[in-house]
Amino acid sequence: MSAVLFYARKDSEKNKRMFVFIIIAIALSTANIIIINGFMDGITDDFVEKTMETSSGHLNIYPDEQNRYIEGLGVKEQKLDTFDNVIAYSPRINAGGALSYKDKSKSIRILAVDPIKENRVTNILGKIDSGETLDVNDRNGVLISYRLADELKARVGDETVLVFEKGNTKVFRIKGIFRSGMALDTNTVILDFESAAEQLNLSNKASVILVRLSDIALTGQYKDTISRELGAIKVKEWKQEVESILSSTATFKEISSAINAIGLFASAVSVGVILYINILHRRRQIGIMKAVGMKDFQILSVYIIEAMIMGTIGIIAGDMLGYLGTKYLEAHPFSDPILGSLSPRFYTYILYDASLVTMATVILASTYPALMAGRMNIIKAIWE
Amino acid sequence: MDIIKTGNLKKSYMLGKVEVKALNGVDVSIQKGEFVAIMGPSGCGKSTFLNMVGMLDIPTSGEIYVEGNDVTGMSSNKRAEYRLRHIGFIFQFFNLFNELTAIENIMFPMMLNRMPNYRKNAQELLNLVGLGDRIHHLPSELSGGQQQRVTIARSLANSPKILLADEPTGNLDTKSSKEIIELFRKLNLERGQTIVMVTHSQEIGEKADRIIHFRDGIIEK
Ligand SMILES: Nc1ncnc2c1ncn2[C@@H]1O[C@H](COP(=O)(O)OP(=O)(O)O)[C@@H](O)[C@H]1O
Ligand SMILES: [Mg+2]
Repeated sequence: MSAVLFYARKDSEKNKRMFVFIIIAIALSTANIIIINGFMDGITDDFVEKTMETSSGHLNIYPDEQNRYIEGLGVKEQKLDTFDNVIAYSPRINAGGALSYKDKSKSIRILAVDPIKENRVTNILGKIDSGETLDVNDRNGVLISYRLADELKARVGDETVLVFEKGNTKVFRIKGIFRSGMALDTNTVILDFESAAEQLNLSNKASVILVRLSDIALTGQYKDTISRELGAIKVKEWKQEVESILSSTATFKEISSAINAIGLFASAVSVGVILYINILHRRRQIGIMKAVGMKDFQILSVYIIEAMIMGTIGIIAGDMLGYLGTKYLEAHPFSDPILGSLSPRFYTYILYDASLVTMATVILASTYPALMAGRMNIIKAIWE
Repeated sequence: MDIIKTGNLKKSYMLGKVEVKALNGVDVSIQKGEFVAIMGPSGCGKSTFLNMVGMLDIPTSGEIYVEGNDVTGMSSNKRAEYRLRHIGFIFQFFNLFNELTAIENIMFPMMLNRMPNYRKNAQELLNLVGLGDRIHHLPSELSGGQQQRVTIARSLANSPKILLADEPTGNLDTKSSKEIIELFRKLNLERGQTIVMVTHSQEIGEKADRIIHFRDGIIEK
């Protein structure tokens, strides 16, 4: 075994108690990075997944600026049928209205879908908390969000009056209560497309058409083709739909980077300061190292290797702590009334990044004290 | 041939703006296999001389020859190499690595020098200094005299040309001091080890082959 490694190991072993503090600091900073970044990426990925699951196709077709609705829906659907890579599409109507139940009334958002088409694009109709989902051609049933149901104290099977924005009213039976984990849960009522079109006097129109492609990678290419072929419309990619959350998580990412940086800085300072003090206390030992013939860079290596030993132990402990912490918070998420449940996810790439960044910081922090040890004046080291 | 020869060796230190002349032109010749004592009042430059010969410090001017080769002006790495291979040091206090056991202290310079069989050789050196039964003791578990004997064993680790001892008994009682000097005598006689030893004690100095007297940075004739 090399003399440098041998001495670094012995010195670490004899200074266990002091090094435990450094190892704890390194472990906490590593775990901190894994959990905080797991949170940020977990929330982002959750949101994107939920959005794609309930509220967006790969491409979404909207009316152009002049119109509230897409006109000539039948013709546009026929055109969509001609594209090889369009595997499904679902027109939706979005409108305002109110829901009366017993003596209570609430303003609501109406979402109307054709269950057959919608099921080929999203899973919103599968998000049923209680009761059943909407049947094909069910003109009298509605799904209401769980929060509406809570506020109105409405139950599955009850009858309720829906007031449409144009003033039409109709009695519906609550077939089911849904929970999507999205903003839809606030005050949305889901009903059949034809039924809503009739009440809103909309024929051959839709608010939006969600489009599913054979491959999500084709969105960029198809965006242009579809907007050229269908005319008088606006096409958005799924990425644009989640842009707002992605840009707000970008801000959070900056905040979390700052938190990570503070954690790293704290562990760097503790590594640096403890090594520095340790070296000041060991001037005599360093003097002897030099007297017996150790070279400057070998002495420097002793202290860098010690830092790497502490770094390795601290990082392994931090990786485990970060993994367990993430798993614990996944099982016991924070709940937010609007965002739903918030929990970190475990990503292997974050673990690698956190380990590498922490090791680099530890080595950097040990460089100054190690250089100081290597360059120490031998006469002063021995005679002080 | 002279194993050590110095020519007009000078060393001064700056204490603030005051120049302290620790060595002021020292000419010394020491034969291979000689056991030499250096004596003189405190502050006359004895330790400074030893540090120069041992390549711990650099002279202000003058030359040092080891076996006829000029060793002044070597790089820091070369001097470390020279100390490792050719010099054994014994200081008055705290010579040992506290965190290493007796045998590990002796193994360490052998490992630095990439010697094979370092454990076996270190054990033999411990036997030689009469501490064969204390191999796994830490320095803190040994008496002052025992610590100095471990230090002597360590200084022999790489079979140095020259053994330099700076008041090796200065911190020991009379009995331990006698044992150390007898050990030096034995190393000198049995192995032909060249030894240069600084001491305050006339009695100890007289055990050497020759005494060199220092005064105010020069040799007293
Ligand atoms: N590092 C130093 N800086 C300044 N002066 C020193 C230093 N080392 C030794 N001296 C001075 O040099 C002189 C010789 O010191 P030293 O060789 O240690 O003497 P000795 O060992 O004979 O007692 C003394 O006056 C001492 O104060
Ligand atoms: Mg002295």
